[in-house]
Amino acid sequence: MIVLETGLRISRQSVQSLKARRSSAAGLALFYALVLIIFSVLSPRFRTEDNYKNLLIGYSHIGILAIGMSFPILLAGIDLSVGSIIGVVGMTVFDLSLISHVSGIVAILAALTLGAALGALNGFLVVKLNLSPFIVTLAAMATWRGTTYAISGRQLYRDLSVAPITDKLLLWIDGSFGPIPRAFVYMVVIGLAAYWVLAHTKLGRDFYSVGGNERAAYLAGINVTRIKILAYAISGFCAGVVALILSSRLSTSPEDLGTGIELSAIAAAVVGGVSLLGGVGGTLGPILGAFLIGTAYIGMQLENVTTYAQPVVGGVILVGAVGYDRYRQMREQRDLVRERVRRRPVGETIHTAPGVAS
Amino acid sequence: MTELDEKLANGFDRRRFLGASAAIGAAALASPLISACTSKSKPAKAAAASGGTAKSHYKMVWIQIQPQATSTAWGDGMQEIAANQKNIDFQVLDGQNKADTQITLMNTAITQGVDCIFLQPADSVGLAPSIKKAKAAGIPVITLNIDATEAHAAHVEMNHYFGAMDIAAKMGALIGGSGDVVILNAPPGITIRDLRTNGFVDGMKAKFPNVKIAADENAKWDRKTAGDTFTAMWAANPNIKGVYGVNDDMALGVVDVAKAKGILSKLVIFGNDGEKAALTSIEAGELTGTQYTDVWQQGRFAASAGIVLATSGTKASNMPVQGHLLMPYSILTKDNVASIPASARW
Repeated sequence: MIVLETGLRISRQSVQSLKARRSSAAGLALFYALVLIIFSVLSPRFRTEDNYKNLLIGYSHIGILAIGMSFPILLAGIDLSVGSIIGVVGMTVFDLSLISHVSGIVAILAALTLGAALGALNGFLVVKLNLSPFIVTLAAMATWRGTTYAISGRQLYRDLSVAPITDKLLLWIDGSFGPIPRAFVYMVVIGLAAYWVLAHTKLGRDFYSVGGNERAAYLAGINVTRIKILAYAISGFCAGVVALILSSRLSTSPEDLGTGIELSAIAAAVVGGVSLLGGVGGTLGPILGAFLIGTAYIGMQLENVTTYAQPVVGGVILVGAVGYDRYRQMREQRDLVRERVRRRPVGETIHTAPGVAS
Repeated sequence: MTELDEKLANGFDRRRFLGASAAIGAAALASPLISACTSKSKPAKAAAASGGTAKSHYKMVWIQIQPQATSTAWGDGMQEIAANQKNIDFQVLDGQNKADTQITLMNTAITQGVDCIFLQPADSVGLAPSIKKAKAAGIPVITLNIDATEAHAAHVEMNHYFGAMDIAAKMGALIGGSGDVVILNAPPGITIRDLRTNGFVDGMKAKFPNVKIAADENAKWDRKTAGDTFTAMWAANPNIKGVYGVNDDMALGVVDVAKAKGILSKLVIFGNDGEKAALTSIEAGELTGTQYTDVWQQGRFAASAGIVLATSGTKASNMPVQGHLLMPYSILTKDNVASIPASARW
C-alpha cells in the first residue's frame, strides 16, 4: 500500500517537473530569441552566416557537457570532474595516436569508454561510499588533472611537445557537414537521445523520481544505485565526446584541456532550468543555456565590450537564472498552498515551507 | 657625445624615439614580406597602386593568453602605436588561459573582418588551425613570444634561445663551473619552452660541460607552483647550486622559498623576461639575474608591422615567408641592473 501511494506521489512529481521544465524551457527560448534579436539589430556582423557558425562551433561542446551535467544535477548531485575527464581522455587520445600509433577508430572507442568509465566511477563512489557528489567529483577533478600531466606524451617525449595529431579520422571529428559544424550535429544527436530517454522511457521517469525524492523512489522499487551510477556515467561519456571534439579542433591535447569548463557546463544547465535541488530539468534548457551565454559573449566582443566584462555578464546571467528559478518555485509552492487551503476540510492546519507566503 | 646622445641626455622624448625606431624596425620586418607578396601578386600591387585597398578605418585585435605583466605591457606598446594613427580601433581580448577560448576569439575576430590579429598562442599546435583560417580570410597574424606551428605573417620574440644561452654562461661562471642546476619550466606545447630550455642546456654544454642539469620540472609559469616544485627538488637534492626559472615569476617563487629556508646565499637564481618585480629583487640582492627585454618596445614593433601590413592592403594569403624579429636584450645582474631607467621598467 505504501509502495502504491509512494508510486502515485512520484508519478505526480514527475508530471509536475515535466510541466515545470517545459514552461522553463519555453521562457528561456523566448528570452534567447530576444537576446538574438537585440544583438542582430546592434551589430551587422552578428547576423552573418559566419557568426552563427562561430557560435555553433564555439558553444556546441558546452551544450553537450551541459546535457551530460543535467543528469547528476537532476539527482541533486553535481559533477565537478568533467573538465579533468576531458583532459585525461584528450591526453589518452594524443598518446594512443602519437605514441602507440593506434588507428583513429580505436582511439575514439577508447576515449568514449574511458569517459563513461571515469564518470561511472564517480557514481560508484557516491553510492557505495555514501559520499557527497561534491567531494567525490572534486577529488576526481584533482586526480584526473594530475594524471593528465603524468601521462602527457608532450612532456614525456620532448619531440612530441609541439607535434600535432595527424590521424585523419581524429581530425575529421571537428570538421563540418557542409555549413553545419559537426560538433553541433553531435550535440543535436545527444540532445535528442537524452530527451527521448527522459521524456519517453521508464528510465527517464526514474531519474526524475530519484531526483525528486530519493527515499520515496527507493520505496517504490526503483534501483537508485543503478540510476545514480548511470547519471555520472552519462556525464563522463559526454566529457569523452567533448575531449574528442577539442583534441580534433586543436590537433593536439594540452595538459590543461578542459580546465574550468565544468563551471560553464553547470552554468548552462542551471540557466537552462535544471534545478540544483534535483528532480526538475530537461535537455533543451541546458542547450539554450549554453548558447545564451555564448551569444552574450560573442555579441559583446563584436560590440567591442572589453572581454574582462564578459565573465561578469556571465555571472549576472547565472544569478538571474537561479534567482528566477527560485522565484518560480516559491510561486508554485505558494499556489499549491493556496489550492490546498481552498480545498481543506474545516479545522485542518496547513504547514508551509519557510519563506513561502500563504 | 653624438647628437642623438645629447638629445637623450637633454630629455629627448624617449617614447617618441622608441616609437620612431619601432616604425623603422617594423618597416624593415615588413618590407621583405611585402616585396615577396607584391612580386608574386600583381592584383595586390595594382590595388595598392590604385589606392583600392585604402580604408578610412582599421580594426586590430590583441588576443593574449591572459592578462599579466608581460602581455599587458605588450598591449600598452601596441595601443600607443595604434592610438598615434588615429584611424585604428584596437581591442584587447582575454584568452582566459585556454586554447579553445582563444580559438573562439580568433573565429569571432575573423568574422569581424579585422585587419590584423596579434596573438600570444596558449598552445603552438592548438592555435595553428585558427591561424590557417585567418590566413585564408586574408588577415595577417603576428605572434608575440610564442610562435605557432603554422607559418604566419610575422613573429616578434624576446630572443629566447640566445638569451637562455647567455644566462647559462653567466650562471655557470657564478657557480664555479660545476655542480647541479635545475630548470623550472613552462608547460609543454609551446615553442618558448623548447627554445629557452634548449638555449640553456646548449649554453651550459658549450661553456661549462661539468654542470649537470639535475632536474627539469613544469611549474606552469606560476610563482606559487614554482615555490612548491623547488621545495620538492631541494628535498630530493640539497646540492643544487643554480636555478633557472624560464620566466621571472617562477624564479621569484624560488626566491620566496629560498628566503624562507635561509638558503638564498647558497643559490644562483636566474629568471627570464625582466619584469619590474624581478629588477627590484635583483637590486635587493635576492634574485641573481634575468634576461631583460623592453616589452613595450616589442609591442610597438609588432603593432608597427601590423599597421604596415594592414594599411598597405597586403593579404596574409599572399605572404610566402614568415617574418621573424628577435628583440635586443640584456642579461641583468646586480652589477648592471641600474642601467635600466625607471621609465623602461614594466
